[in-house]
Amino acid sequence: MERTSVSKPRAWRDLGARVSMVVPAVLVYVALLVVPVIYAIYYSFTEYNGFPHRVPEFIGLDNYRTMFGSDDITGTMVVTAVVAVVGAVAVNLAALGLALLLQRTNRFNTFGRVVMFYPHVLSALVVGFLWQAILGPQGVVNTMLEKVGTDSLPFLSDPDWALWSMILVIVWSLFGVQLILYLAGLQAVPADLLEAARIDGASPWQTFRAVTWPSLASTVTVAVITSGISLLKTYDVVVSLTGSGPAGSTKTLAYSILAVSFPQRDIGLASAQAVLLIVAAAVLAITVLVLRRRAEDDAESIG
Amino acid sequence: MKKTLTSAATVRVAFVSLVSLGMLVPMYLLVVNAFKSQQEILANPFSPSFGTATFQYLTDAWNNPDFSILKGYGVTIALVLCVNALAMAVCAPAAYVLARTSKPISRLLLFFFIAGMFIPTQVILVPVIFVLRGIGLMGTLPGLILFMTATTIPFTLFVFFGYIRVLPRSLDEAAAIDGAGRYRTLWRIILPLMRPIVATVFILNSLSVWNDFASPQMILGPGSGVYTVTTGVYAAVGQYSTDYTKVFPTLLLAVIPILVIFVVMQRHIMSGLAAGAVKG
Repeated sequence: MERTSVSKPRAWRDLGARVSMVVPAVLVYVALLVVPVIYAIYYSFTEYNGFPHRVPEFIGLDNYRTMFGSDDITGTMVVTAVVAVVGAVAVNLAALGLALLLQRTNRFNTFGRVVMFYPHVLSALVVGFLWQAILGPQGVVNTMLEKVGTDSLPFLSDPDWALWSMILVIVWSLFGVQLILYLAGLQAVPADLLEAARIDGASPWQTFRAVTWPSLASTVTVAVITSGISLLKTYDVVVSLTGSGPAGSTKTLAYSILAVSFPQRDIGLASAQAVLLIVAAAVLAITVLVLRRRAEDDAESIG
Repeated sequence: MKKTLTSAATVRVAFVSLVSLGMLVPMYLLVVNAFKSQQEILANPFSPSFGTATFQYLTDAWNNPDFSILKGYGVTIALVLCVNALAMAVCAPAAYVLARTSKPISRLLLFFFIAGMFIPTQVILVPVIFVLRGIGLMGTLPGLILFMTATTIPFTLFVFFGYIRVLPRSLDEAAAIDGAGRYRTLWRIILPLMRPIVATVFILNSLSVWNDFASPQMILGPGSGVYTVTTGVYAAVGQYSTDYTKVFPTLLLAVIPILVIFVVMQRHIMSGLAAGAVKG
């Protein structure tokens, strides 16, 4: 048996083994995620209709000018931002609130958690169709309203209502995930601190502010970033719930890319919109991380 | 000793019960109305129709000539299994090496992979189409599998990395002294220890692959004639969204398998999700 220090050829063989273990992941990841992002950036500066024999023509920032100059697209940006911001706030408030209520483990609470989470296992497309059958002009709710003699409500047929209806549906289907994250985070809140706060006579709100909330910091970061990014790419639910209408009031950027610019063979514009979304996601993630870092620093300087 | 409920607790139980009921109403409507005729649905959407319930509409949805739901299940399950197998086959070795090498290059690679988590994957589908066309896989299942695998790599690798890093290095050293190479160490020592995290990743990746609509819609396209559950539902329900005798039964058939799996495995699914996120 060779028990001496590792010999040269053996070290080389080990290096080869290690490289060969990393390469497949790098290849798939680079080929189908990184290269497309680079392509998106490149196409965003070109005019290109996607036909294989045509060469993309470099046009500088024209696509971005078109994008920010078009009322239609700036409208979709506003819709996307509203969905992402309002949705993320609502999802996280609902999830944190319910997590505090369902924190103790007993049968009733376990049942509650399962019920809150189940929409997540349904695909967003199905969720949209289902809610369309409930909120649509001929849907369940309006049929009931007519039966009791009240006017029907324009959940999906009025531009103002439709956006809020869609956000409601998204929150319904999404907050269960964040609820589970917050429940996991609450488990990590130090029990002795809670006990100490109780003995000191702190009110539930004071205890939450001083003990629970600071210990939840990393959970909040994860929950806000993940919900924010998944809201930024809202597409499936638009397809099935509203079809981006009425009057484009629920048209998100992702819908505009996949269902408008791409079918119109405007690859340059679709790519510019994609780049905008990628930048928005990065900014969101970095902002949340920086804010958290600063909050931690503050907490340390106080402590 | 039996504790009497305080008023605060009563309010809490009542509130949670109400929210739970609200969460369940859509599912109740879906089940109840899948057995009713259009007139009945429009007249009495909320009440169950024990007297007139019929399986006819479910059967019609099952035998829909535009979209065979059974095939949809098959394609989707195949997709779930292939993506999981491929993602783990490429991520486990890579995560193992990255977790065991503390050189700057491995930190850099890890960061490079994690950055992928911030890419909203649906919005890069347009350039993905051109990449797949370039390698001749556009409109095919292998192409879809490759793309979905790529989208799961950042999360899978990150979670595997976190898990392997806590496994003691002495295990590797012992294996190396016994003459085992990297592959053998991974296969015989590390992987068996990774069972819990593999289960977690399997569940979460399966959910996202099963529910994805944009990728199969764009990559397979209607021309390929291959439908997953979601694209099939879109084809079957999309243009008939006011014919509720098509909508409710088709949606019910689409959600039954995943709901059954969820109810049976809910504890593992939910604790897996929590574990996967906290590992970060």
